[in-house]
Amino acid sequence: MKSKKSWLWPSLGFVSLGCTLLLLFGFGWALKDAWAPSAGIALPGGTPQPVATGGAWEDKHELLVTAIGDSLTRGTGDASGQGYVRGTVDRLQKALGKPVKLVNNLGINGLEASNLTIRLDDEGFKGAIAQADLLLVTIGGNDLFHVAQNGGSLAEGGDIDVQLLQTRLIGLKPRLETVFRKLRALNPNGRIVYVGLYNPFYDVPALRESVGAVIDEWNGYARRLAETDGNAAVVPTYDLFETDVTRYLSSDHFHPNADGYARIAERVAQTLE
Amino acid sequence: MANQLALIQNETLKVWKKKRFAVIVLILLVLVPVFVYAQLKIAENNKDKFTDWRAELRQRIIDNTNALSSDRVPEEWKKWRVALVQQLQYDLDHDVNPNTPNAVTFTNSFLRNAVGMFIPLMVLAVASDLVSSERSTGTIKMLLTRPVRRWRILFSKLVTLTLYVSLIIVATAAVSYLVSGLVFGYEGWREPVFVGFRLAGSDIDTADVHAITQGAYLLMLMGLVWFSAMVVAILAFMVSVLVRSTAASLVTMMAAVISGAILSNMASSWHSAKYLFNVNLDLTVYLQGSPPPIDGMTLGFSLAVLGVWAIAALVVSFAVFTKQDILN
Repeated sequence: MKSKKSWLWPSLGFVSLGCTLLLLFGFGWALKDAWAPSAGIALPGGTPQPVATGGAWEDKHELLVTAIGDSLTRGTGDASGQGYVRGTVDRLQKALGKPVKLVNNLGINGLEASNLTIRLDDEGFKGAIAQADLLLVTIGGNDLFHVAQNGGSLAEGGDIDVQLLQTRLIGLKPRLETVFRKLRALNPNGRIVYVGLYNPFYDVPALRESVGAVIDEWNGYARRLAETDGNAAVVPTYDLFETDVTRYLSSDHFHPNADGYARIAERVAQTLE
Repeated sequence: MANQLALIQNETLKVWKKKRFAVIVLILLVLVPVFVYAQLKIAENNKDKFTDWRAELRQRIIDNTNALSSDRVPEEWKKWRVALVQQLQYDLDHDVNPNTPNAVTFTNSFLRNAVGMFIPLMVLAVASDLVSSERSTGTIKMLLTRPVRRWRILFSKLVTLTLYVSLIIVATAAVSYLVSGLVFGYEGWREPVFVGFRLAGSDIDTADVHAITQGAYLLMLMGLVWFSAMVVAILAFMVSVLVRSTAASLVTMMAAVISGAILSNMASSWHSAKYLFNVNLDLTVYLQGSPPPIDGMTLGFSLAVLGVWAIAALVVSFAVFTKQDILN
């Protein structure tokens, strides 16, 4: 017992004293760093990020998909949270018989075209765009309709003013052009698929034609941009929401529901197969 | 002085013989593997879902941004998320992976999560019965009849407590490093991590942001954790002087620590709560740059609050211990 004691205290004493001094040093360093920050260490040079190569999809062993855009990309309204993006990826995987991987779903609820162009300048997001073989884009719906949060009245058309829609449309066109241009600059080889707008007010007689005309013009404009680009496509969704709108729209009467998204996904996959 | 050293030796060995420290290490050895396993599952899951860490980071940013747009999210959470999004964005833009799975980052995040509850509980295991156990077993009479002044006895107990708190913090870090290293690898000391984010209103000021190594970050974290653990220890020390029963002193302190954790989560509109010691315990938020539990709290403020509580507790402890009558 006596001999055991003789080594226990010195070792315990010195080790714990050493720990105390170490922690005091760490504490002091933390304070110093908080109140008088040092210059910091140099960062290692960033590793180059992968960029999509061109060439036929058949030759690739896997396809990378990035989705950007608004709540449609996000899948808002779909109770299962899948949205059209997940559905498209799954269908493509089946149809092409090779792994199709979703790099990122960068959909943000309520995103407008002007914010999207800002996001495309963001260093961190460029990588996701650049490496994708397929870019799925939805944008413009929020810009046009500025969905108010009072969803209840949307079924009757809300406070949609057709005159206003026309004005917004004119301002919106150059922004969509910027989106296409920036995407192409970031990713010269990937295929861009823009999902066209549908008319959520098709069942409101007062708005059916007037809103429909605006959306037609918008989709036509998008198609012309895609044709100019050469490696882009616009997937029409207008006709998917003509008959029995309420069956395919979610309870907010603006976003599709699970069935609606499934139909969009099928369309998108069909244009790509 | 030699006298004092002998007292400290005596106290330190007494605590050692009670096997408290051994129990703490045992608890760590059981718990840390559980957390390591959970972390491993998350890492595996992410590997399946994402092409690389950048994709994962981007998705986190987008998901948090989406959560911000919901009206049902309380304002304080939004603030926290805004800060988080901006920090993640900073990492992404500078191409620095904030969560490389390695033993050092695991230890860092374990310490950050442990500072509020786990570490205080471990500390209480030693601190709560330091004085009260002498009274409940009656050995205090033997102690006080020795020809040493009472304050010297209490002082030796305080030094012992400090030594054990240090041991606990270092043991926590060491166990978590050694165990997680088995799975994640022992590298990572030199990887960069950003510190110096400051809150400016609802925005984050990145003017002072600079990179330090994960190793330096770990040492700073341990220092900050040690400070708040010391404050808990000193308060428990006071309670242990005031209360005869060890159980009562343990429960009192546990209640205080736990209510602090609850308050930090919900009391942001009760501003004077920031003068309580228990909402100030998590000093690591200042290192990370995440919003403090209550508006207006800064590193200096929290240190001052904790310091005042600790000094007051010491004054009370010594005043009571040197004056009080020991009955039966």
